[in-house]
Order: sequence, then structure tokens, then C-alpha cells
Amino acid sequence: MFETVLQALFEGFSKSLEIFVLTLLGALPLGLIISFGSMSRFVPLKIFTRGLVWVVRGTPLMLQLIIFFYGPGLLLGTNIWGIGSQGRFVAVIVAFILNYACYFSEIYRGGIEGIPRGQYEAGQVLGMNKGQIFFRIVLPQVIKRIVPPMSNEIITLVKDTSLARIIGVYEIIYFGEKFIKSNGIIWPLFFTGIFYLLFSGVLTLLFGYIEKKLSYYKV
Amino acid sequence: MAVLEIKDLKKSFDNTEVLKGISFTVEKGEAVAIIGSSGSGKSTLLRCATDLEKADSGSISYNGKYLVRDKVYAEKEEKSEICSCFGLVFQNFNLFPHLSVMQNIIEAPMLVKKVSREDAEKKARDLLSQMGLSGRENAYPCELSGGQQQRVAIARALALDPDVLFFDEPTSALDPELTGEVLAVIKKLADSDMTMVIVTHEMAFAKDVANKVIFMDEGVIAEEGKPEDLFYNPKTERLKAFLHNASY
Amino acid sequence: MKKILAALMATVMMAICLAGCGAKKPDSDMQYVKDKGTLLVGITDFAPMDYKDEDGKWIGFDADMATKFADSLGVKVEFVELADWGKKIMELDDYQVDCVWNGMTLNEEVLNGMETSKPYCKNQQVVVVKSDVADKYSTKESLKDLTFAVEDGSAGQDVVEANKWKSTALPAQSDALKEVGAGTSEACVIDLLMAGAMIGEGTSYADLVRTVSLTEEDYGVGFRKGSDLAEELNKFFKACYDDGSLMQIATTYGVQKTMVEW
Repeated sequence: MFETVLQALFEGFSKSLEIFVLTLLGALPLGLIISFGSMSRFVPLKIFTRGLVWVVRGTPLMLQLIIFFYGPGLLLGTNIWGIGSQGRFVAVIVAFILNYACYFSEIYRGGIEGIPRGQYEAGQVLGMNKGQIFFRIVLPQVIKRIVPPMSNEIITLVKDTSLARIIGVYEIIYFGEKFIKSNGIIWPLFFTGIFYLLFSGVLTLLFGYIEKKLSYYKV
Repeated sequence: MAVLEIKDLKKSFDNTEVLKGISFTVEKGEAVAIIGSSGSGKSTLLRCATDLEKADSGSISYNGKYLVRDKVYAEKEEKSEICSCFGLVFQNFNLFPHLSVMQNIIEAPMLVKKVSREDAEKKARDLLSQMGLSGRENAYPCELSGGQQQRVAIARALALDPDVLFFDEPTSALDPELTGEVLAVIKKLADSDMTMVIVTHEMAFAKDVANKVIFMDEGVIAEEGKPEDLFYNPKTERLKAFLHNASY
Repeated sequence: MKKILAALMATVMMAICLAGCGAKKPDSDMQYVKDKGTLLVGITDFAPMDYKDEDGKWIGFDADMATKFADSLGVKVEFVELADWGKKIMELDDYQVDCVWNGMTLNEEVLNGMETSKPYCKNQQVVVVKSDVADKYSTKESLKDLTFAVEDGSAGQDVVEANKWKSTALPAQSDALKEVGAGTSEACVIDLLMAGAMIGEGTSYADLVRTVSLTEEDYGVGFRKGSDLAEELNKFFKACYDDGSLMQIATTYGVQKTMVEW
């Protein structure tokens, strides 16, 4: 029995991991782009991106999942996700990436705005162009500043993957509950907690390592 | 031909005119000290000259090439060529904290001038030894004293071979006991005929190092001339009062 | 790695088991309920069996009968909305509710995990599709290539799985309907009672219709395993049936045709 449960939970967990990894891959760069939008001197763009961030951060991710997945079909009459498990998964990834990109964008913004003007000016009088200044001078310092708040959000993401279940993407909690419903045994659901704990433990260690690696200088 | 020529430069911030028509020239090998009380426009002048602020009117030219003339700035490529004529040493050093001393110095030559790493490092070592900082190549800025950081910043500016080097109050952020080592380095540069424009509150230093002193007051050049004349024979009441108040 | 996991696992299981064994179990469940003075009735929003009227009060055939039953026991009734229908047995065992009274199908899971009353109502599992394709799916054979939405742990899911049809499991029957409405699933299998109340003209799902009836099933009320309340409820149902009050309430909610004779 233990083997069966473990196998099912690993199957669910691999789906959770997929959501986690794909969300990070999409949201980390998209967040940076959104942060540029919210710091833009072009006012309409700034208002638009800040509005977007407000809406996305101001509503539950669970609701966003439902709106993304059912909204097109129920409100507009055209289901864009197709039928079957693939469309569901894509909808989950899209909603997660947008949601996390907005949270990340605010962290990036805080990090970027915290870099003193003098750093840009020093780059400028040394003849560097804007791209060189951003990627060689500013970004490395931003990364160091944002590691602690980012690690917070990323560990939250691990747990948020469990929301995918509500639009029928079977992640680990789904499989845990499955055993209650079909076999009447409860412990697999509780046992999913071990997976989350182990994974967030690994992430905590990883972020600790990164922070230590970056502690060679002060900003 | 003058290395730097500024004519009738004007600059306002929010309807407050900070520079009210500044004109002066800097010849090759000259060390010019700019003195004056806080708010007289010294720093703004330096920031306009180094393209960190945009001039409202007037002209700025380096080696006869105009950075700006009548509000029109040079095109991108010409401008970057003109800007490579000068270097700037900041009051707060503005070293890159995430880069080592060596990386701070070679970053711009390698990125901007496409110098090979080998050549850039060789030059950096020479400059560091001139600055009395041999052996600190791998230190990070946070591990250095303020005086050492400022000397690294000077080396960083010199690594690009500027025709003229600006100093914006280079010792104001330093503890008094650390100003000497920085001033000594600048003095050495002056002795080697480096063209320099130095905004400073160190009157003794200005008198000692400069070939020419400019006294700014309320956005205009109130007096300029040889250091002996200005310091021992001030003509205007403002300069007299300023020198009286300056503790040197 | 496996051994470490197994060891961790064993620890967790033991902890859960100890926690479970620690709970006090009264001898008579009826006495337990009478002593605390309230009957906790586990329900979900499931018209016409359990739903809220305009004042927010729970009504419906099941809700009214549950209130009447609590009266007969001399206790107050309290409705507890179950967050997850799939965990209803857990809720009972955990004493979060005293009974589950919510148009509950007497399937194997329920019969094994609860002490149940005799069936009081006969329900069907029906297929719901969009009205424009209803003609194509009027027989059971025509359904085999559809992708279904079902409530996880529901009788509808059992039927779909028994036929090996493709399906997606969702937290509630209303979610399964939402899938069909949005077009993200082609069909769903839900209770006849639910379908009757929630689809067709005058509802949010005007473009959905029910086609095939798949199975018939019995509705019953579930208590904790071994509870003496189940037998008490059987007597109560019989009495209500005999005095006509059961059919009267059933008629109020339009479910009289599905009632069982006592």
C-alpha cells in the first residue's frame, strides 16, 4: 500500500514541480519587464502596468485561475483552451506566470529603485551605454537586494501550486485526497505535507547558499 | 586649442537659475580649482560639463568639438567620442560595490574601448601602483577605507585616458585624516601635467595645486585668475568674505 | 532514500494513529447528541435538497426533514456546510458533523464508511450537454468519445469510470456544470435533482440540457459508523410517511415522484 501511495504522490508531485518550474521560468523575466513598465516615464504605460499589478495582486489566485480557464467559454462563448488535460495545464501556467510576474515586478522595482543614482552616473561618465549600465552595474546589485523577498515568494509558489486542482489539474493534493475518496484512508493526504516540507527545505537551503555567496560585498 | 571651452552656460531648476551665464576655458596641462560657497553652482557646472545635466543654453566644447551648442547636443556617436575626452571623480566615489578593485578599473576600458583584458589589467596595475594601492587588486570596495576607495575611483577614471579629469569635491566625504592621501595623489597628477578641473573646499590645496582659480558666487564667476592674486589680493567683497569664513 | 522515506512515513502514520485513538468515543451516539443539545447536519448547497432561502436560512427537502428529526430528538438543528464533499466521512469521524444529510448516494464508499439510514429517495445520474448537440448524444453508446466533467468522489464519477470514459474530476457538481457551460468539457454527469434545478430556461445555464439517464441510485442519510441514530431515523421516516408529513414536504420541493414507500 505504501508503495502505491508513494507512487501516486510522486506522480502528483511531479505535476506540482512542473507548475513550479515553468512558472518561475516565465515569471522571473516577465516580472522584470512589468517592473520596467511600472517605472516608465511614459505615463499611459505606467498607469496600465500599475493597474494590472493592482488587479492581479488584489484578487485571489484561485479566482484568477477560474476566470482564465472558464471565463472565455462562459463570458465570451468561446473556449480557448480546448478539451482535455493539456489546455488545463496551459491555463494554469498562464495564470500562475502572470500572477507571480506581478508580485516579482514589485520586488524588482523596489530593488532597482534602491540602487543609488550615483551608480548610473558613474557608469555614464565611464562611457557605458544604458544596457551595459543595467546589466553590468545595476542588475547584479539588484539581485543581491531581492534574494530575501524573492525566496519568500518562491516558497509561497511551492504551496500555491496546490490551487491547480480546482480547474482539474491533478497535483499532489489531488492524489492525496484520492485515497480518502476511493480507499477511505486519510494518511496519504497528510503525507503530502512531507513533500512540501522537503521541497521548501531544499529551497531554503538553496537561498541561504545564494545569500551567502553574495555576501562578499555590501550595497 | 583649449581642451575645454564653456561659453555663456545657463541652467535652471524649477525656475531657479543656478548657472547664470558661465564662460571659461581650460588649457592643456592646466589645473583649475573652482571654489565658492555651497549653492553657488559649482557642482551643477561640473555636472553640465560632464553631461550629467542638460544645459539650458550656451555651449560646451572639448578640443573644439561641441558637446552642446544652443541647446543642440551632439549626435550619439560624436557625443560618445566627445564624452571620452573627460573623466569624473565623484564626491561619494561611486565605486561599483559588487566588483573588485581590478574589475572596477577594467570594466569600462574593456566594455567601451574594447581593450583586451590583458592590456586593461596591465594598465590597471600601473595606475594602482601610482595610487599607492599595489596588491589591493582583489579587494572589494567595502573592504577599503574612504581614502583608498577614492584613489581607486581616480584610477578608474584615468584608465580611460581622459584629456581632462573633473573632481567634484573629492575629499568632502572623507574623514579629515584621510583627505591627505587623496590630495597627495591629485597633486602628483597635477605635477605630471594632467589637465584637471577641481571643485574643492580645501583652500590650501587649491592654492598649492591650481594654475588658475575660479571663484563662483550665485551662479556667476565672480573672480578668476592666478591663485596668488585671488587668495592674497581678492578684489570683490564676496570673495573677501568667503575667504574670511573659509577656515584655512 | 526509500528507507528514510519509509521511516518518516511510519512516524507520521503513528502520530496520526495516536491522535485518532486519543479521541473519546461515546457509547451511544444518540445520547451524545442529546447531551450536547444540537444535531450538526453536514450539507452542501444542493437544491432542492439543501439550499438557502432569501433570508439565508437553510431550506429544502433534506433540510426540513433534518429540522423535524432534530425536533423529535429534542435538540436544536445546526447546518454545517461541508467544504469538500469528498471528505464527508472524515468530517463525521472527526465529530465536525453528526450526520451527512444532503441527497447522498448510498454507494460503496458511503456504505462502508458510515452507518446509513434506509433509502428514502431514488435519484438518477444524468448526462448534461449543450443543447445544440443534444440530439447527437441521446443514447449511451453515443457518449463514448466525449470528455466528461464529474465531481470528484461522486456517483457520477463512478459511472464514468466504470464505462472507462475520459473525465476530469473537479471539487463540486457545480464545477462540473461550469465546465460544460464554458465548453472546457463536452459533457458532465450529475444528479438528476441538481440538473433539474440548475439547467434550462431561467437559470445561468440556459443552453444546457440533460440527455441520457445512466444509473438509478438510492439516497440515504449517513451517520458515524455504529451510530444508533440511523435506526432512530428509519423509525422517524416511517412515522412521517405514515402521517403524510413526509410526502407533504416532498411536494413543497417538487421531489414527491422520487420518494420511496415506507
